[in-house]
Amino acid sequence: MARKKARSGNTFLLLALLPAVLILGGFILLFFWGFYQSLTDMRFGRTRVDFEGLGNYARLFSRGRFWDSVSATAIYAFSAVACEAILGLAIAKLFNTRALLAKWFRPAILLPLVLPPLSVALMWTTMMNPETGVLNYFLSFIGIDNFTWTSKAETAMFAVVFIDVWTFTPFFALIIFAGLRGIAPDIVEGARMNGAKAWGIFWRIELPMVLPYILLASLFRLIDSLNQFDIIFGTTQGGPGNATDVLSVSAYFTAFQNLYFGRGAAIMIVNWLIVLISAIVVVKLWQFTRKRVS
Amino acid sequence: MQNRNLTATILNALVLVVVIVLAFPILWIVMNSFKEAADINAYPPVFLYDPTLENYKVLFDLADAEATNYGTLKIEFFKPIISSVIISVGAVLLSLIAGVPAGYALARYKFRGKEDLAFFILGFRFAPVLLVIIPMFQFFQAVGLYDSYLGMIWVYQLVTLPMIIWLSRSYVEDIPLEIEEAAAICGAKRPRILLQIVLPLLRPGLVGASLLVFLLAWHNFALGLILTAKNTPVTVALLKLLNPGVSFYPVVSAGLVVSMIVPILLIMLGQRHLERGLTFGALK
Repeated sequence: MARKKARSGNTFLLLALLPAVLILGGFILLFFWGFYQSLTDMRFGRTRVDFEGLGNYARLFSRGRFWDSVSATAIYAFSAVACEAILGLAIAKLFNTRALLAKWFRPAILLPLVLPPLSVALMWTTMMNPETGVLNYFLSFIGIDNFTWTSKAETAMFAVVFIDVWTFTPFFALIIFAGLRGIAPDIVEGARMNGAKAWGIFWRIELPMVLPYILLASLFRLIDSLNQFDIIFGTTQGGPGNATDVLSVSAYFTAFQNLYFGRGAAIMIVNWLIVLISAIVVVKLWQFTRKRVS
Repeated sequence: MQNRNLTATILNALVLVVVIVLAFPILWIVMNSFKEAADINAYPPVFLYDPTLENYKVLFDLADAEATNYGTLKIEFFKPIISSVIISVGAVLLSLIAGVPAGYALARYKFRGKEDLAFFILGFRFAPVLLVIIPMFQFFQAVGLYDSYLGMIWVYQLVTLPMIIWLSRSYVEDIPLEIEEAAAICGAKRPRILLQIVLPLLRPGLVGASLLVFLLAWHNFALGLILTAKNTPVTVALLKLLNPGVSFYPVVSAGLVVSMIVPILLIMLGQRHLERGLTFGALK
């Protein structure tokens, strides 16, 4: 009887998981196919495909432009995530105070997160116009004239990181806010009774306790930023020159404009490895901080 | 006492600054969408003006060709909206059908490698989409799924299915196991327990999860950019508006407002659910 029940349970388990596993399994097959393509000289519209082994990778690694893309990807993702973590922490602290407006306006934090990233990118593009943009109008009040934003290589990376920070700082704020709410009030109260100052409480109690939350948010954002395509494609398309030519944008142009499918796939494999290694490092850090806190 | 009032004022002022920084760009683009072209390209920027609907008329191809500044150029923005709705709703429905049972299984069953499977599924949410698109593009061309709603609904599962599985798992875990056990003791069979007890309890959560996942589908750009030609979603149609040149800012503004209105309406419907969804079920 017991065995029969267990078996019907297993059948149910299998039926429940099967559709999802089949759909996602299809993507896994495509992933492996993509990896195989990266080992060939496949071009779109040409039927002959030769296996080249690591030829695509060797060619990429010998090019300065490829390494520029690798560093652009890293600079974009790491500077965006660092700014977002610091600003997100500040905003979470602010909205965790008893200020009346903080309670009223908390839903406003969600605003940037619900907009399509591409729309956000185009929205900022219109505002960042060096001649007529409203941002430069505001900057002119504090003595900065004709800031070039996305139109010059020197400032383009700053501009796209700025857009990423505006869009995703609320994500950090949301998660860190939950972390702050989770700290038992008597811990903070006890420290205050023992004469701890507000700064001391922040550095010694609150920050260590929300650190796992910060790292968790960093993990999600780092992965998304290393893969970021919409914001950069919507604003600079990798330019000017190759100032913001991150790997995913570079792969798009390699595969769908120059039609080198094999080489495009190789670029994406490298991008994927960078994402994977970064994610593993952050997960290890997260596990370490969580163990220390509990 | 004086001191405390001062602190409160400063804090409220800071909150206001944050809110203005978050809301101003959106307000500005809404304002722009009701401006005439000359006002949009004016410097210094115009803050007060006579609102006009011309940009929206051009966007939806309602204006007489001679009456606009854009001559006879034809823009079709209505169809991309329909396409986005069909693809996003279809993707959500397919994800619900395939994902909710999987989420239930991950919440209620113990089996080897369960947590690994759960994280593996979440990993799809962060897969480099372009890596899958390159082979997908050829596959779609070969089997005739290129530029089809069916194909798009399938590839959107890459974005929507992992989230539905994770969120429905987190909502099932909120339902006390005792309710199901009590029903089982009373002799109810599993399909009946699921349909008549679990599903009704799960419904508010699933509505919230569907809202969020619809949003993710609505946001998507890269898949539509590469895998469609005529049945493009809104995001891709927006970028096409920008191509004719800078003088198109007014119409682009109107298009941006349209692409943003849908998510902003959704956030009003389900703010609490969105917070939970945006943080992958970490916030309850």
